[in-house]
Amino acid sequence: MMTDFEPRIIGFLCRWCSYPGADLAGTSRIIYPPSLRIIRVPCSGRVDPLFVLKAFQEGADGVMVLGCHPGDCHYLEGNYHARRRYALMHRLLEYVGVEKERLLIEWVSSAEGGRFVELVKEFTAQVRELGPWGGRRID
Amino acid sequence: MIEQIRVKARELLESGQVNCFIGYEEGTRGRVRPAFIYEPDDVDRLIWDERCTYNLAIYLHQFKSPLKRGEEPPLVGILVKPCDSRSLNILLHEEQIDRERVYIVGLTCEGVKVDDQIQERCLRCEERFPLVYDFLVGEEPKAVGKEDYADVARLEGMSAQERLAFWVREFDRCILCYACRQACPACYCFECVAEQLDPLWMGIAIALPQKQFFHIMRAYHLAGRCSGCNACEEACPVGLPLSLLNRKIAKEVEALFGYRTGEDAETPPPLATFKKEEELPL
Repeated sequence: MMTDFEPRIIGFLCRWCSYPGADLAGTSRIIYPPSLRIIRVPCSGRVDPLFVLKAFQEGADGVMVLGCHPGDCHYLEGNYHARRRYALMHRLLEYVGVEKERLLIEWVSSAEGGRFVELVKEFTAQVRELGPWGGRRID
Repeated sequence: MIEQIRVKARELLESGQVNCFIGYEEGTRGRVRPAFIYEPDDVDRLIWDERCTYNLAIYLHQFKSPLKRGEEPPLVGILVKPCDSRSLNILLHEEQIDRERVYIVGLTCEGVKVDDQIQERCLRCEERFPLVYDFLVGEEPKAVGKEDYADVARLEGMSAQERLAFWVREFDRCILCYACRQACPACYCFECVAEQLDPLWMGIAIALPQKQFFHIMRAYHLAGRCSGCNACEEACPVGLPLSLLNRKIAKEVEALFGYRTGEDAETPPPLATFKKEEELPL
């Protein structure tokens, strides 16, 4: 496996919890891997599974979807919907050959800057281990 | 059985209870095709045998609007097999058809054949009675199949690399003709994501990333809505094993949410609802 491989990770962060969480990590000057490209969304319920598919189609090596903890959704129930969608999406992607380690669904509150950094570090290491996503290659 | 169907269809058409009766008729080259009967005298065209594989529920979409401007939409009578009745329940739940305007003639079924070969889905089919009907035709059938997801499990047993290689090989044969989507009773969006240009979701190239995107997207959109009628696989000109995808989702939906498609017209599909307290492996 290539050692200098730097994965490209797309992160969909909810505007009310995870994005401020990432902000907190930034204002606290905690360093986290530059592999993550953050896209801010209004709610984890806004993250249509097509976003994830599209990210993989366009060549992302990993996708993270971060939302508020269940029960804390600003829109009351967005993350409950997200939880169901991604429980299924995980299994479908795994079935068609996208390793399940490439998709991460987690809940990060706006006070959890440190946890956010830990998640990004862990996930980056996990994806680096897997190598680039080769779904566009025909053997 | 066919006499019962013809008598019922004649009665419905003559009494004006339906304007059109959708059934099967003899086609060309020994095949069966869907029949749309408007006149009571035409009911003798109707047939029913094991070649009648088509899911007629898809034709209900074209009776949603009036045939002539200003009129009411037509009243329709339709023949349904047990598998088709699940599609019907989904369409009823999604308010695509008006229960008042559709008269459902249910059939009992022992499996249908394509080219004298009993279909695999019929060997796996566990039910012989429609779940929704106004009038039932036929005796209680004998044979009952068993769904064991053996082929899905075989694929699940492979490594991620092998699975990816398998699906890449299969998807790459796709020509993006969208026959699967057109044949599907649950695919009725006015504008499909696959053809949306703004935003350009899937892309217009006929290349592997688009093909993968299309099939995964379609499988996902059918989660908890696919009745397993297999019309997509039958329609596919290159013979993609689409039932492997759809049945995997059906299996997971049942395991995760305890839901089976089309049991009744009231329960919402699993992705349209949620429970606050539930443990889902993410």
